[in-house]
Amino acid sequence: MSIFSNQSVANFLFWVSRKKWLVTAFFISISFFYLPTPEGLSSEGHRTLIIVLTALILIISESIPLPAVAILILIMEVILGVDTPDGVASSFMSDAVFFIMGSLMLAVSIVHQGLDKRLALAIINLTGNKTWRIAFGFVAISAIMSSFVGEHTVAAMMLPVALSLIRNTGLDTGKATRLSTLLLFSIAYGCAIGSIGTPSGGGRNVIMIGYLSEFGLGKISYLEWMKYAYPLMLIEIPIAATILWFTFTPKQRIMDSAVRKLKVSVAKSGKLNNNQVMAIVVFIMVFLGWIFLSPVIGLGIVALTGVFFYLSFRLIEWQDITRRTNWGVIILFGAAISLGIQMKQTGAALWVADNALNSLQFIFQDVEVVRWFFSVVLSAILTNLLSNAATVAVLGPIVLDMGGNPIILGMATSVASAFAYLTIVASPTCMIIHSTGLVTSNDYLKAGWKLFIASIILLFLFSTFYWPLLS
Amino acid sequence: MKVLIAVSSKEFSAPTLSAGMKISQSFKATATVVDVGDKINDFSLKEVSMAQERMESWDFDRPGVDVLEWAFEYLADNKLIKTTSIDAGFPKNMLVEKGSSRAEVFLEGSVSDNVNLILRNGDIIEELRDEVQSEGYDVTVIGASKKRGMAYDLVQYIESSIFVANNYDSNQSYKILLAVNDSPAMKKTVKYGVRVAQAFGIGVDILTISTKEEFGEDYKKAAAWAAKLLRRSGIEYKNRFEVGDPSNLIASNAGEDHIVVMGASTRNPLKTFFKGNKPLKVLENCKCPILIVK
Repeated sequence: MSIFSNQSVANFLFWVSRKKWLVTAFFISISFFYLPTPEGLSSEGHRTLIIVLTALILIISESIPLPAVAILILIMEVILGVDTPDGVASSFMSDAVFFIMGSLMLAVSIVHQGLDKRLALAIINLTGNKTWRIAFGFVAISAIMSSFVGEHTVAAMMLPVALSLIRNTGLDTGKATRLSTLLLFSIAYGCAIGSIGTPSGGGRNVIMIGYLSEFGLGKISYLEWMKYAYPLMLIEIPIAATILWFTFTPKQRIMDSAVRKLKVSVAKSGKLNNNQVMAIVVFIMVFLGWIFLSPVIGLGIVALTGVFFYLSFRLIEWQDITRRTNWGVIILFGAAISLGIQMKQTGAALWVADNALNSLQFIFQDVEVVRWFFSVVLSAILTNLLSNAATVAVLGPIVLDMGGNPIILGMATSVASAFAYLTIVASPTCMIIHSTGLVTSNDYLKAGWKLFIASIILLFLFSTFYWPLLS
Repeated sequence: MKVLIAVSSKEFSAPTLSAGMKISQSFKATATVVDVGDKINDFSLKEVSMAQERMESWDFDRPGVDVLEWAFEYLADNKLIKTTSIDAGFPKNMLVEKGSSRAEVFLEGSVSDNVNLILRNGDIIEELRDEVQSEGYDVTVIGASKKRGMAYDLVQYIESSIFVANNYDSNQSYKILLAVNDSPAMKKTVKYGVRVAQAFGIGVDILTISTKEEFGEDYKKAAAWAAKLLRRSGIEYKNRFEVGDPSNLIASNAGEDHIVVMGASTRNPLKTFFKGNKPLKVLENCKCPILIVK
């Protein structure tokens, strides 16, 4: 008679079937641990790369919760002797993590004010009632707003506006149509494009700024970043709008009655209340702080100051912030940045960079092309599988160790990691529009590949001809 | 008793819902209809829920509520639901969060006493397994899935009995194909078969299969016990004995006009993992609904 009941064996098999990637990651890390350290790589570097590989498998497969992956990274860093507990703790918390934490809290505070109805009115006043203008307006407004506020904040506010317009045309908001696909992708892609515009557009931008400063490779201020990235963002807006329009051309060319109904329903919500005015004022102060104060006190502290005001003026309660803030993501990014710093300090990043350059040079010959390929194409592909901030946190130190102009390569990596057009899991905005049930994974590929290639070409032109003029 | 009915869409789930309610009525059980929506990844969980809160403030339902609303109306229209205040319609404002990936519409006492509606998000196998484990359902009703491994995983890992509404058509007349053998779950299987036959008002074919030419005494006793229970319950039945491969014979005898009722396998789950088992093979070959009793 077996010592295990059939039920306990079944439970074990179920666990294995659900956690196969965790088991795989475990065996891969053990195998790599016992392999001899490759030539040119330190023993600590070898162990750091094992942690990177394990973390990548677990993040992509999602076989355990993200906070668990983050905690595992920190534990492995200490257990494998990559750094001391105090060293790991100090690399875990940085201004970039403060920024990610602050910007997620700011997002919750802004969305909480219910400014989306105001936003709806502003959009339709700007765009009028022609469908192509509305779609263009959605891309443009999503992009411009998300360049300052953060992409998922804008997506959360724009989504009901788009759905209201769809409902007002008489279409069933439970069924996908070309109009619904067009408007939802206008939001998602607009937000993704906008996130490259300023450092506050996305946590990854701040992570890259942090790496450049930490590794002594250069400093980029808020305005300098805008000089590099904002023109690229503005050119991408009409390109994205055109691609989306021709991919999902809807039957409805004019949305006259839908726009009128929306105006009527929004008008009922009355004027801006005091809290909404105060919320806007605080955000403008934060924005000015990012421009003028961040070189001295850091982007993260400015974001946290904004949160302080939102809480102090009772514009939001702490319970609402704790309930809606994605703490798991904050911990994960902290751990990923810590890992990035360890990659640099142990020489693992340099070893990967050298090997990548040597291997890829057989294909491309020119070292500049190899660097560009690694920073842009690899970031853009990985961001569609992983997460854009995690991509930059892991690839950043490698790219910055490849030689060449670190600012251009760093910017290119950060910008390319915004090209999250191809999959549902690529970014929270992609997931937000997918959660409506109106877009399928095929829809992402239909328009996404065109925008992906156009964006890569545009980034190539900018990083080759425009950015060298600035640096 | 408690029955869990898993639905997925208005277009494809009507047969599953109809079959599930009949099964539920046959056991005089409380039915719970569950829709499992797509998994939202950890990176976006809070952001999606924030967006959904905004959508709700504009009077948009979150995905899945429309499926529950359709299920409620389908049950009311087909008089499959005992309503206490049906005029009020589907009470979507009573959707209450009961955890990070579970929300429930409270019907009990206010609208209906015998049906609950639940919305979950995540991996369908994990969510159904968790629901069955935490709420203690006796039977789980699912539709046939195009994904080959899904029914396999559900049968394998869900602790309750499973009814797979494979090609179920409420307008077609069925008979029960009751597969009996000498397994410990035989008596429970026969009792379930009797209940289902009574609820559907249909006859039963008792099928006893031996892989050898000679039928063992236990097999004969099992068939006789089943026949006695059916006779006492006033259900029309036929007793058949066949020799050969049980999975193939059950599938060929069932055709498209039977509901197969059979016991779950007692084979070690580890062996099942590599070699499969009889119910799984029947499920793979059959073109009709199947109830696997655990």
